[in-house]
Amino acid sequence: MRRTWLYPVLTVIVVTAVLLTSCQPTPAPTSPPKATEPPSKATPIPTSPPPTAPPAERKIMTIIFTQEPATLNTVYSSMWFESILHQIWSCWALEYDDQNEAFPRLVTEIPSTENGGVSEDGLTITLHLRDDIVWSDGTPITAEDFVFTYQMYMDPANAVASQYPYDHLESVEAPDERTVVMRFKEPFAPWEAWFWRGLLPKHVLEPVFEANGSIIEAEWNLAPTVGCGPFVFAEWESGSFMRFVKNENYWLGEPKLDEIFIRFVPDDASQTAALVAGDADLGTFPPLSDVPALQDAGLKIIVQPSGYQEGWFFNFREMAHPAVQDVRVRQAIAMALDRQAIINDLLLGLTTVAETYWDGTPVYVPDDIEPWPYDTERAKQLLEEAGWTDTDGDGIREDANGNKLTLVHGTTTREIRQDIQAVAQQQLKEVGIDLQIFNYDADILFESYSNKGPAAIGDLDIMEWSDLPTGFPDPDTDYWLCGQIPSDENPWGYNYFGCDEELDALFGQQLTTIDAEERTAIVHEINRRMHDQVYWLGLYSDPDYWVVGPRLANVKFSGVTPFYSIMEWDLQ
Amino acid sequence: MTQYIIRRLLQAIPLLFVISLILFVLMRNAGDPLATMGGRHLTRPDDRARLSRQLGLDKPIYMQYLYWLIGNDWTKMDVDGDGIPETPGTRRGILRGEFGTSLITRGKPVLKIIWERLPNTLILMITAEAIIVVFSVVIGVYSALRQYSLMDHMVTTVSFVGYSMPIFFIALVSMYIFAVNFKKWGLPYLPTVGMFDPQTGKTSAQVALHMVLPVFSMSFTSIAGYSRFVRATMLEVMSEDYIRTARAKGLPNYMILFIHALKNASLPLVTIVGLDIPMLLGGAVVTERIFAWPGMGRLFLDHVSRADTPVVMGILMLISVAVVVFQLITDITYAWLDPRIRYT
Repeated sequence: MRRTWLYPVLTVIVVTAVLLTSCQPTPAPTSPPKATEPPSKATPIPTSPPPTAPPAERKIMTIIFTQEPATLNTVYSSMWFESILHQIWSCWALEYDDQNEAFPRLVTEIPSTENGGVSEDGLTITLHLRDDIVWSDGTPITAEDFVFTYQMYMDPANAVASQYPYDHLESVEAPDERTVVMRFKEPFAPWEAWFWRGLLPKHVLEPVFEANGSIIEAEWNLAPTVGCGPFVFAEWESGSFMRFVKNENYWLGEPKLDEIFIRFVPDDASQTAALVAGDADLGTFPPLSDVPALQDAGLKIIVQPSGYQEGWFFNFREMAHPAVQDVRVRQAIAMALDRQAIINDLLLGLTTVAETYWDGTPVYVPDDIEPWPYDTERAKQLLEEAGWTDTDGDGIREDANGNKLTLVHGTTTREIRQDIQAVAQQQLKEVGIDLQIFNYDADILFESYSNKGPAAIGDLDIMEWSDLPTGFPDPDTDYWLCGQIPSDENPWGYNYFGCDEELDALFGQQLTTIDAEERTAIVHEINRRMHDQVYWLGLYSDPDYWVVGPRLANVKFSGVTPFYSIMEWDLQ
Repeated sequence: MTQYIIRRLLQAIPLLFVISLILFVLMRNAGDPLATMGGRHLTRPDDRARLSRQLGLDKPIYMQYLYWLIGNDWTKMDVDGDGIPETPGTRRGILRGEFGTSLITRGKPVLKIIWERLPNTLILMITAEAIIVVFSVVIGVYSALRQYSLMDHMVTTVSFVGYSMPIFFIALVSMYIFAVNFKKWGLPYLPTVGMFDPQTGKTSAQVALHMVLPVFSMSFTSIAGYSRFVRATMLEVMSEDYIRTARAKGLPNYMILFIHALKNASLPLVTIVGLDIPMLLGGAVVTERIFAWPGMGRLFLDHVSRADTPVVMGILMLISVAVVVFQLITDITYAWLDPRIRYT
């Protein structure tokens, strides 16, 4: 009797549940469809339009991104995962190869003083565009697109991600369809690395700008159906995937792949599982502990130098601990830290020690730089000379007034950094330095001076993160400029480290020195001073790690424009 | 009853207002969205100053709240940085139905962002919740009626194992077993991540297949807990006097079980499920992250980590309203289930 009631009740509940999902789930097949099977004819989900089902023979490469881009418009790009997409669907005037060397993409040659592209006074740069470049809809790419892109960067209504380095320009002109003339307020040596990283199609966006007064809400930002890369945007479903299909009008020929499918998988362990299971062909930055498992499953790990170096930034401003303001103590720390052991133990020996901030571009590293050795005896000696002695026998040194040598180290919450902190704490304790360690989310660590950001107000004696020269592979950086020290007057300043007037002058000089040899000599001088004064202590070179599946062929990466050769990539 | 409902809804207005104020202040102090806008590089000071002005983040927090609440189309903004407000505001504010636009995906309306994710979350969460409720009631009632039987002991053991396992562990272990290793062993296997296979396209069958592991992970721990709960309340009710009276009156077993016992035993369960339902909108942060399911939980996490106040506020206010509404519905259901409760 009980059963006669139980079954109808259960049936009603189950049917209601199924109806509520509005999904009409069909029974799961015993095995997922093979790549060669035609698309299923089951009813699509009504909540979002399905992509057109691809024919069976299409070559679809699946990439995993652990972060989802927020935009595709290059003027709003700030995230790494956004910028690496540029070579898929957009285009840069100059791109970079697997040696991180520049080569012309939209222009006929790289302007220089020798070929007349850069004027003698360094104030004018002329670009000559290729004759055959076209947008994916067939419209020619002209100098007017460059002028329009410049105007969009500079218009305040657009609230672009960064106006650098366009704010160094006085004007951009198009004397004819194939010629772009850039005029500067004063010579600007790093021009090569940063201009024209992406181009806006004037014929698509100008009407939007004229109608709305800005391009901030342009549909093209999230669905750029017109582009200038080997692939063209097809579809983007928030949180799920992004698709690019072959650009039939690409001027350099036909890409070998038919489609690029990018899946957003935020969890590292899930990325590894998907790669091992063959659900993706390409992944990025795997947890290093997963590398053996990935290699066992037949995937390749490609390590591509990208200019990033993980390092310690010392705060030598007046509010920092007096010890860390003393160069001898900073040198002692450099010698007390066993950086190779950190790399071997925590990074499986997959990378190398970073000695200078410019290690990513060896041309800017002078030959006479002596790497800091791991030498605890010499470190102890330097600390003694600097007046730090362990008088009370507790293992931590004090100065003459009994002030402890306790330094505050702060970094982000990234796991590897927390591990390094713990190891460094032990290593520095060996020489009598007490390291207090703190972790913050990046948006709190780098809060502004007015919001009392811990880095900005100088709460931290040592800070750690991975960074690179602003315009890598150009050597320019403005982190250590005296004018960038945060204060009430300059709450956004990002020199959290200190002012060295000699260094400040050298940074100013290299910025306006157009002659390459002369500039390299200045950067060498900067590098020597930074290294000897230990304003920055490199831990390890922080390259890009790519996990490449067994199906992918002809794969090469650049550290600046990773997908520069994507039209050559193939699936076997 | 109608008066009661109206009174409750009116009471909700100041409550939601206070919630929004607290959340806004907390959110604006939880990090600086401009700090990470330089990507892997620090945001340049010039860009920070400019964006702070152009995105209205340079205003005092009470003004930012006011703009969020009632809009800024009644005033002018200084966008070009010359110190003179020249550009009329365009925002209408949440009170006039506009939730604002994202700071990160510049210019994209918050409601559109939420709406893109809500169906994915609901498909996943409602399925999981339905399975949880059905299975926990069936298992709980069965265990109560067969107390101390072999089955009861087995269910109890599995429940404790399930209850004590964190969801990320179950999710990853099930992914490695049923997706990675089954494929390696040549058995029928499930997909690892996402909603569908790109070669096949987004079909119902594909979505259902991709839902199996996330729904299993979410249900496993919850069924374990809920079924223990149903078992306990059911046992308590079954020993009540009115059940004995019903039996004495000679009522059939099914009537005693479903009309007298289960209805009363389900009262506490209604409270729990009533609280669960608005939370369904928030998605399952851990499960969505591991299985790369494009739902609200991940949306929330992504935007909180980048201090995108408008989007986070939109999600939180949506959940707050849902909590208020479903609390009211829960109370009304209570009155229906328990005749002793009367609202006036």
